[in-house]
Amino acid sequence: MNKHITFYKFGRNLMKKSARAILILIALCTVRGVQAQDTAPDFMRSTGKIYVVAAVTIVILITLFIYLVILDRKISRLEKRHKNE
Amino acid sequence: MGSVNQPDRNRLAAWKWATMAILLFVFIAGWYVPLNPGIIRVHPDKAVAGDSISLQITGYNSSFTTGDASARAWLRFEGDTVIKAYDVKVIDDRRVDARFYIPSAMPVSRDAYPLSLILDHKTDGSSVLPNALFVTPNPDPVASEEELWYQSGIDEIHEKEGIQYPFRNILAETIRNTYFHVPMWFSMIILFGVSAWYSLKYYRKGNMEDDRRSIAFVKVGLIFGVMGMITGMLWAKFTWNAYWSWDVKQNMSAIALLIYAALMVMRSSVEDDMQKARLSAGYNMFAFMLLIPLLFIIPRMADSLHPGNGGNPAMGGEDLDNTMRMIFYPAVIGWIMLGLWISQLVYRVDNLKETT
Repeated sequence: MNKHITFYKFGRNLMKKSARAILILIALCTVRGVQAQDTAPDFMRSTGKIYVVAAVTIVILITLFIYLVILDRKISRLEKRHKNE
Repeated sequence: MGSVNQPDRNRLAAWKWATMAILLFVFIAGWYVPLNPGIIRVHPDKAVAGDSISLQITGYNSSFTTGDASARAWLRFEGDTVIKAYDVKVIDDRRVDARFYIPSAMPVSRDAYPLSLILDHKTDGSSVLPNALFVTPNPDPVASEEELWYQSGIDEIHEKEGIQYPFRNILAETIRNTYFHVPMWFSMIILFGVSAWYSLKYYRKGNMEDDRRSIAFVKVGLIFGVMGMITGMLWAKFTWNAYWSWDVKQNMSAIALLIYAALMVMRSSVEDDMQKARLSAGYNMFAFMLLIPLLFIIPRMADSLHPGNGGNPAMGGEDLDNTMRMIFYPAVIGWIMLGLWISQLVYRVDNLKETT
């Protein structure tokens, strides 16, 4: 019984997370798709496509920051547990 | 508690300071070293043999008006088969007009002739635009004009002084992504490798700490893989014109990531700790073995847009010159060290969670 509950919870959690990821992906694709077809260089292609490098750097930094926040919260939870004991 | 891997609370290990210093250097050099001048556009891009044309050349990062504001230009068919512009006029720092007479007779008989444009400037150095002009053959060529192709060789090519990254057509500034996108995958492979090593250790000794270590490395390796994937998709959008073009390299790296994601899913679905650890150790070693064909063998056997695959060189050749190596190698080392650092933190947290 216990096993079923944890598995159900895990599944629900995963579904929530993946739904959010897909939504973000769709939003990103539509925004880019609208401005992609132009012959004149768009914003991302201007100035020798330097903004692509900016975007890549930002993606890396944001991902690392998100992971840092997750780790931080994990440690806070541990500290809380430690205090309660 | 007093394990070797847990340093003194008040002192940060020297290699962590080194990681920060190396990555700081990579970010500064990666962003601030200028790009070599290059040609981004030529108008018109089509002509018929026998035409006298005026090519409007648009430069990037160029300063054509410096020095005596003169430049030389050639259209190259192949090797020394070139025609020289009879008149080159510098308009401003970014624009040059070059006048060519394209001989009505071509050296070989073909349906179309893609010609590369070569521009040489005293201070800016030389730049090349491959396939700048497409020439279609003249219906009645004058045979004697064929000689014009062999009269002027490309001589006295200049090089721009100072440190700069090579200008590559299509890539332009995005060549800097070499220091950010590529090391993500290098780090992922190293992290997965270390993880497989700890899995092997767990298999032999049965120590739960090794299991926790190997999983910490998988977690961080996955983060680096996802970063490599997203940055690669962004880069592909503005060079290959699509986020995802079902290229072998893209497909195989996606499969590799899914295999490791499956490992994490499998772990969370097993209740018993010992069983979980044993299962994931075996799976993890096989997953690492699979990385080798997925990332290194299959992409090399098929045609691929990605450099380093399908007869498309990456290291060496013109894509990575000596200036870029001076930043690329530190970048690889720095990002790998950052990955190891984060993995160590994750392990320490997970270890505390399990033992306290």
